Amino acid sequence: METITPHHFVGLGGVLFAIGFLGVVIRRNLLLVLMSLELMLNGVNVALVAFSRTSLNLDGSLFVFFIMTVAASEVAVGLALLVALYKKRASVFSEDMSLLSN
Amino acid sequence: MEILAFSILLLPLLSSLVTLFFLRKHGNVAALLSVATAGGILVFASYLIFSNGGEDFAWDANWLTLSNWELRFGFLIDGPARLLLFVVAFVGLLIHIFSLGYMEDDTAKSRYFGGLSIFMFSMLGITLADNLIMIFVFWELVGFSSYLLISHYFTTEEAANASKKAFIVNRIGDFGFLIGIVLTYWIFGTVNLKELSDLASFDPSLTSTALCLALACGFIGKSAQFPLHVWLPDAMAGPTPVSALIHAATMVAAGIYLLVRIDFLFTDQALSLLGLAGSGMGLYAGFCALVQRDIKKILAYSTLSQLGYMTAAFGLGMPGIAMFHLMTHAFFKALMFLGSGSVIHACHHEQDIFNYGGLRKKMPITALTFLIGVLAISGVNFLSGYFSKDAILLGAYNSNMPVFVLLYAGAILTALYMFRLYFITFEGEARGKYAKQAHESASLMTAPLIILALLSVIGGYHGLYPFSLIGSSLSDLELVAKMPNHLWMIVLGTFAWVSGCIAAKLLYSKVDQLDPLETKAPAFYRLCSSKLYFDEVYAVYVKRVQDPWARFLEVLELLFVSGLMVRGSAGLAALFALLAKTFYVGRIHAYAFWFILGTLGFLAYASGLFGN
Repeated sequence: METITPHHFVGLGGVLFAIGFLGVVIRRNLLLVLMSLELMLNGVNVALVAFSRTSLNLDGSLFVFFIMTVAASEVAVGLALLVALYKKRASVFSEDMSLLSN
Repeated sequence: MEILAFSILLLPLLSSLVTLFFLRKHGNVAALLSVATAGGILVFASYLIFSNGGEDFAWDANWLTLSNWELRFGFLIDGPARLLLFVVAFVGLLIHIFSLGYMEDDTAKSRYFGGLSIFMFSMLGITLADNLIMIFVFWELVGFSSYLLISHYFTTEEAANASKKAFIVNRIGDFGFLIGIVLTYWIFGTVNLKELSDLASFDPSLTSTALCLALACGFIGKSAQFPLHVWLPDAMAGPTPVSALIHAATMVAAGIYLLVRIDFLFTDQALSLLGLAGSGMGLYAGFCALVQRDIKKILAYSTLSQLGYMTAAFGLGMPGIAMFHLMTHAFFKALMFLGSGSVIHACHHEQDIFNYGGLRKKMPITALTFLIGVLAISGVNFLSGYFSKDAILLGAYNSNMPVFVLLYAGAILTALYMFRLYFITFEGEARGKYAKQAHESASLMTAPLIILALLSVIGGYHGLYPFSLIGSSLSDLELVAKMPNHLWMIVLGTFAWVSGCIAAKLLYSKVDQLDPLETKAPAFYRLCSSKLYFDEVYAVYVKRVQDPWARFLEVLELLFVSGLMVRGSAGLAALFALLAKTFYVGRIHAYAFWFILGTLGFLAYASGLFGN
């Protein structure tokens, strides 16, 4: 039976990050883009916790707390912006926002 | 003392600036301001000349520092400087006053008087400057103000062309002058006149004929000597008081003054060359003056000839005599120019002497003062020109025979063309319609004439001048006084003016519209009026050599400077911008993509993937 090594955790973090990145780049719905961003952050969190555990110090875990705090406030601000945008444009799709492209 | 020198310099500058900014529409105020300024200059200048009893005064301060090279600004007030300062301030004031009358009906008074003030500023700058670079700066400034004043009647093509010609021909001379200054600095390591004189007396081998000739280029341009003499007769297109001030009494004399200031640099070869060139000019200009019909052009050629005398005096090693003749010439030539101005003013700007005639009865003061000027320049015994000119002739007789022969022939010619001018203008019957209606000018114009006539009579007695004024010329005057052949010279000099006068009386006492010489000696007349084709040769040179060369340079400029370098670099930047523009698509996904790609790039760099 195979044991779970730190490699697995780092791999999981990388996969989560990649999925989140693809979501940011491909998705047009800004709500989903925001969710994908969160996914990227969580991928990083998983990797940090794994490193913290293997190297037996708390620096990585400490970092994770900060990231979670910042992510929470970021989501609050991002959602607020989105609601404001929706009120103005009646849409949450990114192509409706690209006013600078031409 | 330096405060005084500064006030002399800044007063006219201030006056011209005030005129430029506030008085452009107030011609009469500008005129009064300019005349008051000239008066102020005379007061300050006299104070400066006489306050310390003929002691030299030098002062300087740092002007510019460029790494380890320092440009200094300073005054050197020695004998020649005091003499020229007096001439510029005194004759300048008289001409300013004369201008009040002459320019009474002019529509652009403020431009004219502002120009006079800026000229006074630059001329005084040359007079006071203590180093060659400062002289050069003011040298260019007098060139500019001369340009400004010649083109006063710029609506006439003649004046516009003449001002351009004067400026460009002067630039040619100034280019040589600039090379001379650079050479001086190269050899001596300084441009300060006092230090230069110390260095040159310490080691005479430092100086060279090439250096002298390069510096003399500035003199040749400004004093209109061969081969750059062509601008001065044309410059007569300016107002007559300007011709008196700039093109007779002061600016053209600045060239002689420059030579006198740097005379310690001159080698014997350079001196003898200048002596010959000057005496040749004295004769050549005399022939040209003989056949001119325009009253101002006759005086212009006469100025050229007298400048030739000063050059010859300098070339003979008598700079003091050159300065002395400069002063007496300033008196009688300014007198004659102002006299011609009075005549021109009375005859509604008619300048052809064959349209005058009989003006002595209508304008007695002008005629009498003009006659005194004619007598003085011809060297009639015991008038001012007799002392200064015969000193030059005697010096030449005792040291350099070829120069003497040229100068003596020039002296006979001087008397001839001057009496010709006088007889045709003032004697006989009135010929032109304006000459018939002429009347004497206002006292504003005749008063300067009377003062200058007085000076032309007594100006030759050097004992009358205070030491601080004439001090620098005394040693040369005593040198001439000790020379042999005095009596013989008096006989020769008297013969020169008497024969000139009699020849003029015989030839020109009964004239009509035609010059008698034209009918009696047509070949000689044509040769003289061709002026030896200098203008034509220069015109061909400019057309055949200079214009094609300029066009060639223009093509090069279009191709390389404005084409390849200016447009080329702009095109390169535009190309880069075109490329960079494609990144700005305006969609948030693309930016996120570039952002992540950039982060990955940094990561790759940090982990050493690029081989670092």
